[in-house]
Amino acid sequence: MKRGGLQGYIIKRLIYAALIAFGVVTITFILLRLGPTSPADKYLANMSARTQDPAQVVAAVEARYGLDKPLYQQYGNYLINLARGDWGWSFSTSMPVIKLIQTHWVYSFQLILLSMLFAASLGLLIGVCSAIKQYTRIDYLATFFSFIGISIPNFWLGIMLILVFSVQLGWFKTYYDTGLPMFSLANLKALILPVITLGTGMMAGYTRYARSATLDNMGKDFVRTARAKGLPERVVIGKHVFRNAILPIITIIMFSLSGIVFGGAYLTEIIFGIPGLGRISFNAIFASDYPVVVTITLIGTLVVLLTNLATDIVYTWLDPRIRYD
Amino acid sequence: MHHNILEIKQLKTYFFTRSGVVKAVDSVNFGIRRGESLCLVGESGCGKTATALSILRLIDSPPGKIIDGEIRYHDEDLLRCSGKRLRQIRGHGIAMIFQDPQSSLNPVFTVGDQIAEQIRMHLKLKRRPTMERTLHLMEQVGIPRARERMKDYPHQFSGGMRQRIMIAAALSCGPEILIADEPTTALDTTIKEQILDIFRDLKQQREMSILFITHDLGTVAGIADRIVVMYGGRIAEVGTVYDIFDQPKHPYTHGLIDCLPDISARSDRLTSIPGMIPSLIDPPDGCIFSPRCPRSMMVCRQKRPKEVIVSKEHLVACHLYS
Ligand SMILES: Nc1ncnc2c1ncn2[C@@H]1O[C@H](COP(=O)(O)OP(=O)(O)O)[C@@H](O)[C@H]1O
Ligand SMILES: [Mg+2]
Repeated sequence: MKRGGLQGYIIKRLIYAALIAFGVVTITFILLRLGPTSPADKYLANMSARTQDPAQVVAAVEARYGLDKPLYQQYGNYLINLARGDWGWSFSTSMPVIKLIQTHWVYSFQLILLSMLFAASLGLLIGVCSAIKQYTRIDYLATFFSFIGISIPNFWLGIMLILVFSVQLGWFKTYYDTGLPMFSLANLKALILPVITLGTGMMAGYTRYARSATLDNMGKDFVRTARAKGLPERVVIGKHVFRNAILPIITIIMFSLSGIVFGGAYLTEIIFGIPGLGRISFNAIFASDYPVVVTITLIGTLVVLLTNLATDIVYTWLDPRIRYD
Repeated sequence: MHHNILEIKQLKTYFFTRSGVVKAVDSVNFGIRRGESLCLVGESGCGKTATALSILRLIDSPPGKIIDGEIRYHDEDLLRCSGKRLRQIRGHGIAMIFQDPQSSLNPVFTVGDQIAEQIRMHLKLKRRPTMERTLHLMEQVGIPRARERMKDYPHQFSGGMRQRIMIAAALSCGPEILIADEPTTALDTTIKEQILDIFRDLKQQREMSILFITHDLGTVAGIADRIVVMYGGRIAEVGTVYDIFDQPKHPYTHGLIDCLPDISARSDRLTSIPGMIPSLIDPPDGCIFSPRCPRSMMVCRQKRPKEVIVSKEHLVACHLYS
């Protein structure tokens, strides 16, 4: 592997990432600012109680935040501020966006990380076992449940889980408790249903891919060579098959990341009342609070793009045949 | 009586496929002697690979299955020993090299690691001695700059070099028997000769028995002490190189020899034996070669020929000699 080749590749990918991020910011900004509501309406709702002239309030607020300027100028100012690291002011919550993100990102992060760990570890384990025991009862069961897992919509699964385990059995709270310390068993327990909700579909998908990737590689000639060397089956599968099977699975996991970040996690946070970025963004959309929505969309985009890039780099030592020039 | 270190008796290996039962190995008997080079020869599809894989129980199952027989190695029957014992023998007592060095090496591990893993496993050596031994083996099979190339991956080597690495890996634990299944078939002609030279050297040393499998009787020169000719999953003839080349008995062996290039200047030389390679599903009654045999008789289509001893070392399964 030429180091220069990899470096050039990383730079190229970073430039693409910057372009995509720019596009995402622009589109999100335009969509929200062209909507029927103004960020100032939120103030209106708060202040109309104080019997002021609504038009006056809107005008004052719009003047204060530059919302009365032409849209392109607002957009330009917003971009400049963003580039300087100023993520703007959240109209609906009356605090700097950065502050809002700082308090809420960790709820999304823990949910997504735990769900991916749950889905990837269990999916790989079941998929590999299913392949080793191909056409046995274990394999049929795994296949059956993974098809169910793939087909269940996760919002429905979340609601069912709450109905059964929280409402009926009373094992869990129906609402996520933000008062729990982050690194505590109680917090972990509170995340069980959300993680299952978000992770089951992914896990089922990974199981299918892990099974087929393992089967593909179990038939390869080098597996026969490994057996001919006298290696125990644990090494034949665990080393020779798995190291090859993991390559396509990693790609699949990375492909599924954007769906999780922008789809599953939003829904799961809303269902379980987890105050993560998805829920914040969801609320902000209804308030036309564009600085919040744009920032959260941008963060999600960057997380997905940079994780993909990191994966590509990890790939260069997982698969020595790969070269990026 | 010579001492056989490996004795294959009445081996039957079948593949159970959608279109029927393929009798890839059908009651095969032969032995390998200490320090000899035995060549297993026959057209492709005659069951050579199936025979070789059966020895180490490497047949893909399903669809394959060893139905019956015995493979005696020292005092053990490899077909009935425990999985643990079998793994001790694989790579250590009996090592194997495959036809396609491209696909037989794992693409994601360094070649050094793929040689070293079996040294670590069987000889229980520590890191440094394993490294030294790997290096020595790579030099021995003629890989230039072996110390640097240990850390390279299979795709960074040519076909011939990859096959050398397979040989180095197979030799790494000093096996008693080396099985080489068409090790030169996937290689270019010039490279082929270089790899054959390695086998000729190994044969000269006589430290190890070699089972060399080929579909080309032309490659056995300089390698074989004895030859087993196989046809349609069965043994046609067994003899020393001189028996087979100078006094071939089986019409099939005659055919193979006639197909060799430059054996004589005859212009009407055949390039292949006429007729089709038989299907090993529902083979004909009697001798499986009879449909293609120029000297076929009535009895050939009715009874399967028994193996007849024609001289001390020479055996043939043909009704002409019974
Ligand atoms: N995995 C398999 N499934 C079905 N049939 C097989 C399989 N492997 C080999 N055979 C059949 O067994 C017979 C012998 O094959 P093989 O031992 O590979 O022959 P050779 O090595 O002499 O070319 C052939 O008819 C082949 O089609
Ligand atoms: Mg073969």
